[in-house]
Amino acid sequence: MMPIWTKSGKKHAVTLLKVQDCHVLRYISKEESGGKTSKLLVGGKNASPFYKSESAMEIFKEAGVPRKQKVTTFNVTDDAIIKPGTPLYAAHFRPGQFVDVTAKTIGKGFQGVMKRWGFKGQPASHGQTKTHRRPGAISTNKAAKVYRGKKMPGKMGNIYRTSFGLKVWRINTKHDIIYVNGSVPGHTNCLVKVKDSKLPTYKDCNKNPPFPTFFADGDEKLPEDLYDEEIFQFTDPSVTYA
Amino acid sequence: RINSDGKPAKFQPPPKPVIIDKQKQREQRRFLSPEFIPPRGRTDPLKFYIERKDMIQRRKVFNIPEFYVGHILAVTTADPYASNKANRFVGICIQRGGKGLGATFVLRNVIEDQGVEICYELYNPRIQAIEVLKLEKRLDDNLMYLRDALPEYSTFDVNMKPVSRLDHEEIPINKLQVRMKPKPWSKRWERPKYNIKGIKFELPEKKMKEAQKWSQPWLEFDMLREYDTSKIEEKIWKEVTEELKK
Repeated sequence: MMPIWTKSGKKHAVTLLKVQDCHVLRYISKEESGGKTSKLLVGGKNASPFYKSESAMEIFKEAGVPRKQKVTTFNVTDDAIIKPGTPLYAAHFRPGQFVDVTAKTIGKGFQGVMKRWGFKGQPASHGQTKTHRRPGAISTNKAAKVYRGKKMPGKMGNIYRTSFGLKVWRINTKHDIIYVNGSVPGHTNCLVKVKDSKLPTYKDCNKNPPFPTFFADGDEKLPEDLYDEEIFQFTDPSVTYA
Repeated sequence: RINSDGKPAKFQPPPKPVIIDKQKQREQRRFLSPEFIPPRGRTDPLKFYIERKDMIQRRKVFNIPEFYVGHILAVTTADPYASNKANRFVGICIQRGGKGLGATFVLRNVIEDQGVEICYELYNPRIQAIEVLKLEKRLDDNLMYLRDALPEYSTFDVNMKPVSRLDHEEIPINKLQVRMKPKPWSKRWERPKYNIKGIKFELPEKKMKEAQKWSQPWLEFDMLREYDTSKIEEKIWKEVTEELKK
């Protein structure tokens, strides 16, 4: 995470996400998947092919791509279908766009009710016998049972969570890095899924995005760094208020 | 001329003049700002490389002078709510923290009997100028104890003229022992964990001995805490100087 300053002098914290060897693996049509839209399987970071069975490696062999550590599905409209085997780059996103980021949260292991659900616990003194971090009562008398989903101690973390509506401030095309506003779930160097935002406020935010994606061997030659309009670039002189 | 042997004296060329190359001496002293050194952790080195590129880019446009804890600096920032739209603060640097673009330094001064500390970010674009008024290192890396010292040690004239630098070598170390206000202090500075050498402790011997109970003499031998930065520093120093010369 890094600080970033706007032209008005405000500071924002930014997370850096690297797009590492992403390829499209397979196209699944609407009828095949049984959903409302067709799907595209996308694979992330390269990994060793020797630790998986032959049947699992079939998808990668078909696409002609080394084995990927993570495979996710994206729901795509029919006009945005991409041929399996095309690499995906950070330039697929543009500064000023809004993005949802999904990842597995940091695993905390088996945790008690105070850390996991934020219960208040009991006082430290004034006669409490062996009860300082316990949940207390778990149900009422009339219910005569414990409801499903009752908050109790258990394994915390290591589940998929999403941060919605994060602004993209900057894109580095040379190293394929996306600068995303705020914090993102997951530990450092974990695998993360970045999608266009589904929030209704940012529905019309994308103006001329690269559609269906940014092709490296195409005609467009992008500069090494793409900045949002409001960012203070370090090549400019210091900010002054007139 | 004839020697005592009777043979003519051999021509002795004059001794070679010893040229003291001051530029080379200047270069021998290397200073790498502490925020360039990456902290210990599992972050990808690519992240530090990209941050360093940004930091060098800012340094090309705006000069950040070399300074340590104990120097007296004057910082002008752009302020939308001030008349003249600029704000000048003079103070002694008590601590330098943070790594990368978020590096900060705290300046302390006593203005009209009120102690003021301001934490500035080195790479904040609102900073217009940083001038070093007086160069002197102190005995410690962290001068937070000036909060509990007598206010005369933290007062500096706001209109102080910059002291001229004698040579491009050796920053003088001020071995000043500061006198403190009566206890209680904000932190127990006599304890060995702060390792302060710049205070003149006027506490009774008994208190000083009791403070040594909290010493942890095994810490300096702990191998897991070792973080040798010499090689990393060399590499980064070369990289930074090459980029700045371009």
